[in-house]
Amino acid sequence: MLEEMKEMIAEQLNCEESSITETTSFKDDLGADSLDLFELVMALEEKYEVEIPSEELAELTTVGAVMEYLKNKGVEA
Amino acid sequence: MKTKVTELLQIEYPIIQGGMAWVAEHHLAAAVSEAGGFGLIGAASAPPEIVREEIRKAKELTDKPFGVNIMLLNPNADEVAKIVVEEGIQAVTTGAGNPEKYMPMWKEAGVKVIPVVASVAMAKRMERYGADAVVAEGMEAGGHIGNQTTMALIPQIVDAVNIPVIAAGGIGDGRGVAASFMLGAEGVQMGTRFVVADESIVHDNYKDRIVKAKDIDSVVTGQSTGHPVRCLRNQMTKEYIKKEQEGVPFEELERMTLGSLRKAVMDGDILNGTVMAGQIAGLVSKRQSCKEILQEIMTEAEKLLHC
Repeated sequence: MLEEMKEMIAEQLNCEESSITETTSFKDDLGADSLDLFELVMALEEKYEVEIPSEELAELTTVGAVMEYLKNKGVEA
Repeated sequence: MKTKVTELLQIEYPIIQGGMAWVAEHHLAAAVSEAGGFGLIGAASAPPEIVREEIRKAKELTDKPFGVNIMLLNPNADEVAKIVVEEGIQAVTTGAGNPEKYMPMWKEAGVKVIPVVASVAMAKRMERYGADAVVAEGMEAGGHIGNQTTMALIPQIVDAVNIPVIAAGGIGDGRGVAASFMLGAEGVQMGTRFVVADESIVHDNYKDRIVKAKDIDSVVTGQSTGHPVRCLRNQMTKEYIKKEQEGVPFEELERMTLGSLRKAVMDGDILNGTVMAGQIAGLVSKRQSCKEILQEIMTEAEKLLHC
């Protein structure tokens, strides 16, 4: 899943794929603002066919947190 | 003129008055609604009970529908969200965040929900959560702004959603309304033109500053901090932007603007306060009543649109 996520994040946030790891923080490391996070969430929802309510968005600060979240939602790795 | 927005809000003209902090209080909101537009009370950072009072005072001045703009960064947003339901408000607009968690409560109460959005993705998400329309606001607007212009943003959002789009930012006369409609909008939101309305309680100095403003007086502070604010240039903006360029820390810059909007709006200190206004301030050249403003704009717009 990490490779797939890296590709998607790099495309959505216009950053180097190689700079992304599980511990990468969207805000602190990739400089994403709230509009960027919207783009990313919409892309994630579409790709993994899940719904991510906004109350849960606040916790999804790192790449690893998103992967964990998706796994808990039953998304196959 | 009939559009999906006039139908949705049960109003005569497809024009909404922006929910400007300190400016959008009950006199202005009621006057705009009474004149056939849709007035908004700007809850901004006001304490919840003040918002309730403002709503009740507006009801004394008009029987027509009006709305409340809720600034979601306000720590009291939860309470204000409930108050609009209790007071039977027709529509809310929301700014500075994501109103998803309030949508079920508002929908159930029959409150129309119109989030202010600054991107296509956000507009789509709001539509999915049941928004009745969106206000798409370009960076020509006054106050806190995004990065996209109205001209570029509106058609992209119009293409992306099926709910009506209300254009905001840079609209101050009938030409602006007609242009927005050509881009696919079905309503507009205006702030600056209403700030100088006779019914607006804003200090005379503030109104004069807008009426006298030239095109190039519009500046943006806080570009470097990620919290850009559009206002009219003065002593404060000069100092602020100079300090910004010197790399002064965010906290110190914030201190400079603490309470500065109130200083300009209420006390009339237009040299040291923040005179928030849109880029269209240069075009706004006279003080009129809300009724005159709306009628003049709509006559011009309808002529241009041949309707």
